Amino acid sequence: MRKKAVIKTRKKRDRISVILYVLYLVMLIGSTCLIGKLVYLQAWFKPDPRIKAALTPQSTRIVTQPVRGNIYDCKGKLLAMSCPNYILHMDCTVQKSNYEHMKDREKGMRLENEWRAKAMDLSVELAKVFPEKKARDYYKMIINGREKGSKYLAIGTPVDRKTRNRIIEFPLWNEGAYKGGLIIENDNIRVYPYEKLARRTIGFVRSNKSGVSNTHIGLEGHYDKYLHGQEGIEWQRLTDNGKVRDYDSTYCTVVDGQDLYTTLDIDYQEIADKALRKGIENEPDVEGGCLVLMDVKTGAIRAMVNLTRDNGGRGRFEEISNMAIGRKAEPGSVFKTVTLMTLLEDGKISSLDQTIPTNHGKVEGAKIPVDAHIQQYEVQNHTNRISILKGFEMSSNYVFATLALQNYVNEPERFLSYINKYHLNETPDFDLDGWRTPTIPTPQTRYWTNADLAAIAYGYSTQETPLHILMFYNAIANKGVMMKPYIVGEPVKMDAICSEQTAKTLTRALQGVTNEGTAKALKDARSNVAGKTGTSFATFDNGKYQDEHGRRKYLGTFAGFFPAEDPQYSVICSIYSKATTKSFQGGGIPAVAVKSLVDQIYNIDPYGQIRITK
Amino acid sequence: MKLSFAKIWTLIKNSFKAVLKGEFLFRLNTQNYFIHIVYTFFLFALIIWMSLKIDNAMLRVEKNNREIEELEIVNSQKTFELVQVSKRSAVKDRLKKMKSTVTENEKPAYKIDK
Repeated sequence: MRKKAVIKTRKKRDRISVILYVLYLVMLIGSTCLIGKLVYLQAWFKPDPRIKAALTPQSTRIVTQPVRGNIYDCKGKLLAMSCPNYILHMDCTVQKSNYEHMKDREKGMRLENEWRAKAMDLSVELAKVFPEKKARDYYKMIINGREKGSKYLAIGTPVDRKTRNRIIEFPLWNEGAYKGGLIIENDNIRVYPYEKLARRTIGFVRSNKSGVSNTHIGLEGHYDKYLHGQEGIEWQRLTDNGKVRDYDSTYCTVVDGQDLYTTLDIDYQEIADKALRKGIENEPDVEGGCLVLMDVKTGAIRAMVNLTRDNGGRGRFEEISNMAIGRKAEPGSVFKTVTLMTLLEDGKISSLDQTIPTNHGKVEGAKIPVDAHIQQYEVQNHTNRISILKGFEMSSNYVFATLALQNYVNEPERFLSYINKYHLNETPDFDLDGWRTPTIPTPQTRYWTNADLAAIAYGYSTQETPLHILMFYNAIANKGVMMKPYIVGEPVKMDAICSEQTAKTLTRALQGVTNEGTAKALKDARSNVAGKTGTSFATFDNGKYQDEHGRRKYLGTFAGFFPAEDPQYSVICSIYSKATTKSFQGGGIPAVAVKSLVDQIYNIDPYGQIRITK
Repeated sequence: MKLSFAKIWTLIKNSFKAVLKGEFLFRLNTQNYFIHIVYTFFLFALIIWMSLKIDNAMLRVEKNNREIEELEIVNSQKTFELVQVSKRSAVKDRLKKMKSTVTENEKPAYKIDK
């Protein structure tokens, strides 16, 4: 049997396929190694912790501060805004160790000397920007810092952007942070373009970093939660080219604060501020004063000036406390208008021309001082009767005490219920914190006598803030309708506190005061002003209205509105004196300040425009 | 089909041999799914490319944000300066300094009604 030849056929590979096969093998081995390495790195490899920390991309938590809302006046002018300030520090030790440890010692010394020479040039420039120190002081400070190893030396005061741009071009600092050592930190601070104008009304915060915690003054304090906004929090991861937001992490979008639109008119505020300052600045016995201007039809506050002497009552006038809302006192004769309104509304008198006996100024039925003005009146006019209008014009305590006692001695609650009706016993909501609630005694109060009723009638025994009084006078100007004072928001009608006819009668009486009475200083005002003066004394610690030296503390007030024929603005000005022998009447500084305000507003306000029909 | 250790061993051995010969994928008949494999690779490449693009875009966003912030700073600074110089008293002082005859209104404006 022939043995079958077994031929083992081998695949014949051509050259290309061999090369490809070798390449394939090489890649296969390579990839096997790579996979092996990957498995090793993932499963067993433990890197040096420092290298791991340096190479691991880190996420950084960034807190973004919201931009605090702006505050605007009624014409859109900025009253408060946030603006960046730059705080400068210097790392005085830059390059110091490099120069010290240079192999070439001489070169190191030379470079150090060059650095110091540039620091001298820098000091010269710094002295120009921050003149509180001389160039040599700055140089000494920097060199001392360099020798002591100071890495965070404060330089000058915070600067604005323009100055920052100049500063970064100064010698040494223009060489960058690593050579010059300049460290700039940005801080968004609150700025007030009108500086201290209406400071107490607008309020004050340094920056938006934290809420207003130290104080609640002004609109900044009251509306802080709206102005502040909401901090944003995000995580940023490091990429090869820089930091970007890590969208895989949670984040909270920053919400900027809301803007606040107020009723203030900063031009009128400036006029009012100047008018009041002019009146009180040269009076060393004046402790302070306030002036408030209100829009009659809406109750919008257009200007609110509060000036108090700083430095314990010896310094300049500054906006330190809000007296218009925060200082209640016996209002004085401006309260006689309240009595007159009550008598008219209650039908106790029918006309201002009604007369009562003068009785030599002695009030029957209550122990109150004799009214010397009435005695003068009797002598001058050879009469023993006085009209209510005349009594109002000359601001007679006798007339109003008598009228109150004649009509309400048996029912004082009725008289007081009218005061309550005029909202003079309560404090409505307001845009500023600290509006004080008035004090009105009642027959239930201890030691109530008829004298209290008489005193209330002419403005004593009660305590009111200037804004309460203004609110009342504004209602007369607004045909009896009381408006809630406001600085932010919409007008709010409270209610009608008297009839239109009563308001008209009162306007006539108030015009009589400015034309013929105690507020004659306003007679020549550019607009016809209707208003009433009031003067009261504050009590001393001894419970009396004057101290042992016969000195008194005055509260002089003028409250009114203009133009009398079609009222647009109501105004109150109150002056508080220190203990003095000088007299500070409502018809003095307050009336003069109001006249100055009225004259200037008349020239620029649309109500004063002279209409010409084409 | 009963699975035994020997069969598994044979499978591994054959697979290894096939890998060495470069026939592994052919034996799995992957040539039928070639287009899908290519498509998958394309998708991977696309994802990597897009990821890089997103990173770049985000970097640009950050850069632009910084620029916007700078511009806002400039704007607020300018606004502040503008408000300061437009103060009634500041204007008055400047006019005085310039010896201008323009002063505060001395009487109200005329309004012409049609």
